[in-house]
Amino acid sequence: MKWLRGGGIAGFIVRRLLLGLLVLFLVSVIVFVSTQLLGDPARAILGRDATPDRLAALQKQLNLDSSKVGQYFHWLGGLLHGDLGTSLASSQPVTSVLGSRIANSAVLVVLAAVVSVPVSIAIGSYAALRREKSFDTVTSNLMLLLAALPEFVVAVLLVILLSTNVFHLLPAISPVPPGTHAWQYPDELVMPVATLVIAVAPYVSRIMRASMIEVLESDYVEMARLKGLPERTVLIRHALPNAIGPVFQVIAINLAYLAGGVVVIESVFNYPGIGLGLVDAVTNHDIPVVQALAMLIAAVYVVLNLLADVATILVTPRLRTRL
Amino acid sequence: MAGSDQKRWQVVEPEGGLWVPSRRGLVMGAAGVVLASALSACGGGSAPAPSGATGAAGSPKKGGNFRLGVTGGGSKDMMDGQNIVTKPDQARLVTAFETLLEFDDDYQLQTTGLAESVHADNPTQYTIKLRDGITFQNGKPLTADDVIYSLQRIGTQANGLTGFAATATMDIKNLKKVDKLTVQLPLLSPDSTIPQTLASYTFGMVPVGYKAFKGDPSTQIGTGAYKLKSFTPGQESVHERYDGYWRDSWFDSVTITDFSDSTAQINALKGGQIDAMTDLPANQVNAIKSSGVEALISQTGGWIPICMAIDMAPFNDPKVRQAMRLIVDRQQILDQIGSGYGQIANDLYSPFDEGYDKDLPQRQQDIAQAKSLLKSAGKEGLTVDLHTTNGASGMVELASVFASQAKAAGVNITVKNDPNYYGDAYLKLAFSVDFWGTRGYLNQVQQGSLPNSPYNETHWPPKSGEGSNFGDLYQQALRETDTNKRIEIQHEMQKAEYDIGGYIIPYFNSLIDGHSTKVAGLKPSKGTLNLAGFGHGFRTIWFS
Amino acid sequence: MSQAETAPALAEGVDVPTPSVRSTALLARSLRLWRTRIGVLFTLILVLIALLGPLMAPHASDKFIAKPFSSGSASGTVFGTDYLGYDVLSRFLYGGRGILVTALVSTVIGVVLGVVIGLVAAYARNALDDVLMRLMDVIMAFPQIMLALVAVSLVGAKNSVIVLAIALTTAPRVARVARGAAQPVVERDFIGATEAMGLSRVRILFGELLPNILGPMMVEATLRLTYSIAVIAALAFLGLAANPDAANWGIMIQKNQVALASEPWGALLPILAIALLTMGTGLIGDGIARTAAGIDRERGDA
Repeated sequence: MKWLRGGGIAGFIVRRLLLGLLVLFLVSVIVFVSTQLLGDPARAILGRDATPDRLAALQKQLNLDSSKVGQYFHWLGGLLHGDLGTSLASSQPVTSVLGSRIANSAVLVVLAAVVSVPVSIAIGSYAALRREKSFDTVTSNLMLLLAALPEFVVAVLLVILLSTNVFHLLPAISPVPPGTHAWQYPDELVMPVATLVIAVAPYVSRIMRASMIEVLESDYVEMARLKGLPERTVLIRHALPNAIGPVFQVIAINLAYLAGGVVVIESVFNYPGIGLGLVDAVTNHDIPVVQALAMLIAAVYVVLNLLADVATILVTPRLRTRL
Repeated sequence: MAGSDQKRWQVVEPEGGLWVPSRRGLVMGAAGVVLASALSACGGGSAPAPSGATGAAGSPKKGGNFRLGVTGGGSKDMMDGQNIVTKPDQARLVTAFETLLEFDDDYQLQTTGLAESVHADNPTQYTIKLRDGITFQNGKPLTADDVIYSLQRIGTQANGLTGFAATATMDIKNLKKVDKLTVQLPLLSPDSTIPQTLASYTFGMVPVGYKAFKGDPSTQIGTGAYKLKSFTPGQESVHERYDGYWRDSWFDSVTITDFSDSTAQINALKGGQIDAMTDLPANQVNAIKSSGVEALISQTGGWIPICMAIDMAPFNDPKVRQAMRLIVDRQQILDQIGSGYGQIANDLYSPFDEGYDKDLPQRQQDIAQAKSLLKSAGKEGLTVDLHTTNGASGMVELASVFASQAKAAGVNITVKNDPNYYGDAYLKLAFSVDFWGTRGYLNQVQQGSLPNSPYNETHWPPKSGEGSNFGDLYQQALRETDTNKRIEIQHEMQKAEYDIGGYIIPYFNSLIDGHSTKVAGLKPSKGTLNLAGFGHGFRTIWFS
Repeated sequence: MSQAETAPALAEGVDVPTPSVRSTALLARSLRLWRTRIGVLFTLILVLIALLGPLMAPHASDKFIAKPFSSGSASGTVFGTDYLGYDVLSRFLYGGRGILVTALVSTVIGVVLGVVIGLVAAYARNALDDVLMRLMDVIMAFPQIMLALVAVSLVGAKNSVIVLAIALTTAPRVARVARGAAQPVVERDFIGATEAMGLSRVRILFGELLPNILGPMMVEATLRLTYSIAVIAALAFLGLAANPDAANWGIMIQKNQVALASEPWGALLPILAIALLTMGTGLIGDGIARTAAGIDRERGDA
């Protein structure tokens, strides 16, 4: 920000952090206001039994008798203390309702990232080196095709191919039983993770390819070559670090997308993560859970962007010097 | 909304299912004959071989973990021996809780349950005699005190249990313990439906002091074959065999998993991750046969009505209602939505009731007549919204198909698929789709066709003219102890509904479930629960 | 799809290559590439099917043919019947218009909104810039599908809600790209010159700035269109469509996918159509981007 320039990398990180907090604050306002549209939670809990006296008692209990502003700050205060309220549907604390779901989705997203990022960086870089050669042509077109298939199509096709109709290699669904952890069922994770990798890899590899091409044609790579450095050194020491900067941004965007976009994949594989949790909460008008999930997904987005910005600055030599 | 979800499933079950037993007079006979006393001999410890053992399956074998996939659940799932909100709740309830009387697969009352007899002493008093030697899953014997506690728990409105409405005629406060195994149940007014009520699955017997699941599985103690081991709402429950069970059971354990949609369910069944699933889409019955999976098809009395509120425009004119009923091509709707699995209906409900009037002429599609009725009502080219929701499968499709059929008669129907339907708009709409399960006629009337019914979508009966004596006829029928006379009254009631009622009932749907070929002991049932009452509490099915 | 070639990275100070030619020339030159031509071909075919399909359909979209999921030979149709016993081919031919129009309308609204915000922010170069872009950040913190899911569940699956939800989530993404592309242009001398000439701000923004960023904006628009199609299809897949049993590709996929293993066409035809359409728009965007990059390279070499 222009009124906060300077301070080197530390200053940059501080500025970004403050901005992130500001964004999250605004997000919390929007989440709170829009979930008011879900209607009176007390009425939602009581349903048919919403007699006036029971309604009033519950509204008092849920702190609904105070003003909207008061309710907002009460909610925000709880949020800051890690108290996300009580689920209206199950009467359990939101933290215990969502705890295992968050862990399950995190396993999916992290695994997808761990697999897709190196693979797509490698494919993208190699395609850039072999520009317009057969490897480049084949991979670009393949990536284009994969990117064109909606992820639920990929998931459904994988199930047909690998588990129900053609081969019977992998489980068709991934219902991590409560009390256990997703990584205890590696075979059940293969297809959901593969689907996510296929959803992410095309974008990241295409950006990597483009970024790499740009860097390979830049003056400093030319200079390094003229200095007589071995091609290997040129690539790894000079080209890659500069090319990878913009890719972090795309990875961040895609991971943030996964955090919210797992909805469809969790539905196909009956995987107990936050996506199915969100669908459930929305259909049950479970306001505290919807609010918690919206804040969580927004926070993931903000944090990933923050990390990507910092990483970009750190790895890109020509940007580091500008700070 | 809590209310909407309760509506979604509670109507599927017959809390006061009013099947009049085939052996007429057994229940209300002049001398108070003990209900089906001949059958009680088969009770006791030595249960008969499970009915419906499919020939090839051979004799039952012990062992295995039976894995069931159920749709329709979510974070509102609960476990209570006398209450349900979602469909998986039904499956979980019958693992551990049993009723005093039971329905067989033809929906006839039997004394195979916890009571060896239910005796009508006089029109306003029943005597319930318990079978000796039955224990709860903690070893405590089942006694009269538990029965009194159980019935009083249901009959207390503040508990908000599914079966409360069906206890209206019971004098709950004056239940009396005669001896350790005998209870006297006095009535406030004569009610011939008491035995049916006691056989409906939300009348499970719970021990004195019982409370619903609040996180501790050890509180869920019933007399059933399986004891709750763990339960996470919206995800999964595990139930272990109770070794002291008074009848035979075969599985070591039962695992019930929630599914968010039926495609994942089918895939899991095909891939061998579950052994059975609820509600296989009708159009998949043929497709799954090639993959080592079988369909269990049970013709039930369930129905998906299109409801016209008889006091709201344009349906306050009987001619318009009549025209709408003539627009329907029932066979085509059955083929399109039920893939042919089901039975054509005649705008009347409760087909298995002995008072169901089969002699009323089957209503056929008649577009010309519909058009002329609309014309004489001044409603040519009628445009109207039809409200529906994804409540039960088929509800949205029925609305769409009916809308396209109505075009032939120049009626323009816009389908409104409203996610908040049961919360906001339900019972206030002129034109809507709803769903109901199998029930006896009088009990269904009490639920949906009287001024004080909890779910009266059509605002039936009319306040004046034909049909306005409907409520009086209902009261007469409830008190009538002579079966033939009662059937006569019911026919009169149905005639009014047939002529000017607000329901369009195109067909009675089938319950279709899927199971792997290694599951034996399943056979079709007219009852309301899936998989033949979930294998009668998971005790009459086994792995072959 | 081709964000790196055109889109700015999110970090402050990361450079954006901006093509310095006008859009018409760029389009014409990009058509020399095979990929652009194939992309145009795919897109044209699919658009034609969507527009003219209803005229070619052998049956009405709601004419009952045979029991659900009957095979082609059993029902006397080309591709069999769908989940309600309607003709799959006819439903397919009828089903493109809805999804294409919804996607197009929502994308156009989103792109226009985004470009305006991006240009204003880039030109402002002051606190307004910061405020606008932070607001965009806030909206972007909600993934598209999630926002659409919540909105549709709250208000009901009306077309207007779907269009609004997609437009609203498209705008900030476009705005970032527009701002990134416009920033270097703003710094150039000729903008200063126009300011000196006393041109109105609106004239400067849309007469001078906009033409200079049309290249990346076209790429961005095709990319966003692809995303919109995918989001609408995914919503339909989750059972959230305006008219639940209408002839519509998204609904076809959702309702017929249960039979993918036995009677696949009901789901496969719309899947193929959406995939081809997405590839088509993707290839066009890719072609434009490559051409733009190529032009820059030539200039750089010269």
